[in-house]
Amino acid sequence: MKKIGPFIDLHLGYFIVMPAIIFIMIFSIIPIAESLQYSFFDFQLNSQQKSGLYFTEHYNMGLFNETIEYLEYYLDSEKTVQSSAEIIEKIENLESKLPILQEEMHSLIGTNESIVSLDVAKIDSIREKNLVIMTGLDDIYQFGESSQLQEDIYAVASELETALIPSNFIGLENFKTVVKDERARHSLVVTVIFTAVSVAFEFILGLVLAMIMNKAMRGQGLIRTFSLIPWAIPTSVAALIWAYLFNGSNGIVAVLLEKLGLIADSTDLLLTGSGALSAIIMADVWKTTPYMALLLLAGLQTIPFNLYEASAIDGASKWKQFVSVTLPLLKPSIMVALLFRTLDAFRVFDLIYVLTGGGPGGQTESISIYAYKTMFAQTRFGYGSALVLIMALVVGIISYFYIRFLDVKMTAE
Amino acid sequence: MKKKTKVLGILMMILYLFIVIFPFIWVFLTSMKPESEIWGDAALRLFANEVTFEHYQALFRGNILNALKNSVVISTITTAYVTILSAFCAYAIARLKFRGKKVLLAVVLATSMFPQMIVVGPIYKAFVQLGWTNSYWITLPYSMITLPVSIFILVTHFSKIPISLEESAMIDGASKMKTFLKIILPLALPGIFTSAIITFIGVWNEFLLSLTLNPNDSWHTATVAITYLRGQFQIFWGQVTAATIVVTIPTLIIVLLFQKQIISGLTSGAVKE
Repeated sequence: MKKIGPFIDLHLGYFIVMPAIIFIMIFSIIPIAESLQYSFFDFQLNSQQKSGLYFTEHYNMGLFNETIEYLEYYLDSEKTVQSSAEIIEKIENLESKLPILQEEMHSLIGTNESIVSLDVAKIDSIREKNLVIMTGLDDIYQFGESSQLQEDIYAVASELETALIPSNFIGLENFKTVVKDERARHSLVVTVIFTAVSVAFEFILGLVLAMIMNKAMRGQGLIRTFSLIPWAIPTSVAALIWAYLFNGSNGIVAVLLEKLGLIADSTDLLLTGSGALSAIIMADVWKTTPYMALLLLAGLQTIPFNLYEASAIDGASKWKQFVSVTLPLLKPSIMVALLFRTLDAFRVFDLIYVLTGGGPGGQTESISIYAYKTMFAQTRFGYGSALVLIMALVVGIISYFYIRFLDVKMTAE
Repeated sequence: MKKKTKVLGILMMILYLFIVIFPFIWVFLTSMKPESEIWGDAALRLFANEVTFEHYQALFRGNILNALKNSVVISTITTAYVTILSAFCAYAIARLKFRGKKVLLAVVLATSMFPQMIVVGPIYKAFVQLGWTNSYWITLPYSMITLPVSIFILVTHFSKIPISLEESAMIDGASKMKTFLKIILPLALPGIFTSAIITFIGVWNEFLLSLTLNPNDSWHTATVAITYLRGQFQIFWGQVTAATIVVTIPTLIIVLLFQKQIISGLTSGAVKE
């Protein structure tokens, strides 16, 4: 016991970062790796054959057993319907084969009811057994009276084939589909336009506001407090507020824009593609510009005032001061603010989801929205993951350019 | 000339404040209009002819109080454990020697940049398998969005504490753990408080995980619950506006009380010191 204390203390660093690392592993790194894995499969949660990641062929013994049970039940009912003794004999003949086939399947694959991986060599003999049942059924219905049960029996029997699960590993197929997918391309365009326009507006307006706020002025505290409010309220709440202000029938901002002649009709704002995208950008600019201004203001306040005095003595104009003193010294703050805002804007979800839902007609669908709909409305997790990964790749490229070529220095070093 | 620019600046600030505040004021005024005045020409009038609280009453009969309770519980639990985890982690990064520190920092930074959408699929699948959807287990994956920010804020704060304090504690024979708990932690409390507030706001405002992992009405958080107030065929703007006011009030209180801490937390990563 005496030795453990000093040992822990000597290596305290490792011990106290561990809990955070474990959380980051479980809730970030592993899910990211899993997403990567999904993207190589045709993985669909609500499809019987695709609800897992099957690198090789698999067999669903639970489904097989269930199917045999149903077949027995249906064949029993069929016996009461059919009148010909010959047909009834055929039915009984098939019924007597079922337990034997089931027995053989169990010895072939095992009795484990979950989905198990399957030796490819066994597929032929499984198909043979399925064929025995199918020909038995054909034999009955070729000569027997047609009955209402016939369709149901064949539907049940088709599950025998479903129990045999092909591999749903499709390699890069999902990514190839993304490249060809018109809807994906459109969502990328929407995301890029949204990001570029909103970040540009936020940056320019934010810089102007920060420079005004930086001047000693009464009510500076008040201005700063108010600036925090749009940032602090939930995006979904802000989106709802703007959905109200923008709506065509009683939204004051929509009506105002119509009066100003910026839009032809107040209903155009949310009901046309370009109108809705502009509305989303306006809402984002409203929510984020104050935050941008605060970030840049903090940067401005670190610039020593005597630099301005010195340049004023040298006869520099205000504009010259801005270009040769403010901008260079503010550059680190600008770059960090732009980097984080660009990344944030690129993954925009809440705002669009609540304000337009991606509408009208999918015209304001960002990549996040499209990926969300693919995963949670269509349960196509494989394809959805491929979409998100491509988005992550673009995000990675953007960060790389910011950090590498624009010389962003990360703090905390 | 100088006076002109000053006046221009003041005018711009007034316009700015007006634009920032206007949506709240308008929504607040709407929330007190009777249904008949929300539509038609009356919708554009500033004040209601008849002030009413019927929308608030209807709202409180619905799900919103339960949703607010969920938000409070989830945000509090997450803030508590995330702040503790990141305080330890950040101290190690700021002051202690261990191998792989740079890698850890890079990973923390990278995870904060990754789109959240990328982890939602696998986490949703795991939650379904574990039967954890519609529960307070959602607090665990919230670490994904809050830990990196919290760690960064705290690393900055710990780095600012003079190292001589630790050195003299060491000379007195205190262990590193004791130095951290008894000397550094009390000094870093303002920073820890700052990161806790930022974490709390982050969780309170979160939407995507809440939408996917807790889809059941009774487990909705406030941010999700209010979006369900819009019916499929008819929009009750009265209730929607009343709800936005109710949900905004806690945020407003936090901002007004802790604006200094929030600003220092927001800007600590952005300004090189």
